[in-house]
Amino acid sequence: MFDRLPLPSQFDRIIVQGGIAATLFGVPVLVVLLALLIGNRIEAPELVFWLDATVVLLGALGAVFLRNLVHAALALIATLIGVAGIFLLLANEFLALVQILVYGGGVVILLIFGLMLTNAQDDPVVTDGSQKPFAFGIAAILGGLFVAAVIDANWGAQTLSVVPFRDFGARLFRDFLVPVILVAVLLDIALTGAFVNARRSSDEDAMVPTGQDAEARS
Amino acid sequence: MIPIENFLLLAAVLFAIGFYGVLARRSAILILISVELMLAGAAINFVTFATYLDPVGFSGAVFALFVITVAAAEVGLALGIVLRIFRERQTVNVDEVDSLKW
Repeated sequence: MFDRLPLPSQFDRIIVQGGIAATLFGVPVLVVLLALLIGNRIEAPELVFWLDATVVLLGALGAVFLRNLVHAALALIATLIGVAGIFLLLANEFLALVQILVYGGGVVILLIFGLMLTNAQDDPVVTDGSQKPFAFGIAAILGGLFVAAVIDANWGAQTLSVVPFRDFGARLFRDFLVPVILVAVLLDIALTGAFVNARRSSDEDAMVPTGQDAEARS
Repeated sequence: MIPIENFLLLAAVLFAIGFYGVLARRSAILILISVELMLAGAAINFVTFATYLDPVGFSGAVFALFVITVAAAEVGLALGIVLRIFRERQTVNVDEVDSLKW
């Protein structure tokens, strides 16, 4: 199986180039942040925040712009782990743990499985559509709108409060009991539907030859 | 204390990047990855508001948990559909799956 993975031919080159790019971008950011920290312009949590935000945004840009499917999926991991760090900075350990468990452990593996089971092994490099400039314009307008709205708003008094495990669980299973049950039913239905959809039914193969079967027979 | 605007701006930029990916990518799985980015931005927003502006109730944190759960269900179901489309059509590019376009 492993010799069919699309990695080895580009592995070294991508790793070296990615390392050089990350170093070229990361070291100046780190130096500027440390200078600001020593100069008492920012506090230590802010330094951690900016480093984490750099990881999140670089990973997101990689997931969106990289041309190799597998590299895009791997860049997504950096973003999702970075988001777990953001949750930690927001004083919510439980969500950070859930984020790492569900995304780092489940969703990304599922996505890479999907890539491997479709066309990643034959054709890992994609060509995106011709709608790129249009998409960039729309996304820039949307992002600019959000940023302007956030900067313009007055957020009033802010207090940073730690969310304890015990209170979070009580809130979740006492006040939000019905939504929890509904989400459980939703998960059950969705995974059953995924199984039914992805299953190769035996009578379907016998009745309607599709795809490779049809090509092989014709 | 980190200003609340930092988190909100990060979430907004993350959402915009994911939105660009949804519009620009052709492969259905890469569109799913971009949707994950958008959901991560929304979750950061929820948790930020819960932590900074709702210190006793933190309903936003509970809602972010629901967002994560529904995202997991969505990825599972969507990948089942994508695998089915790939078996029928030998492609996962969304612009080639256009039987409904007459």
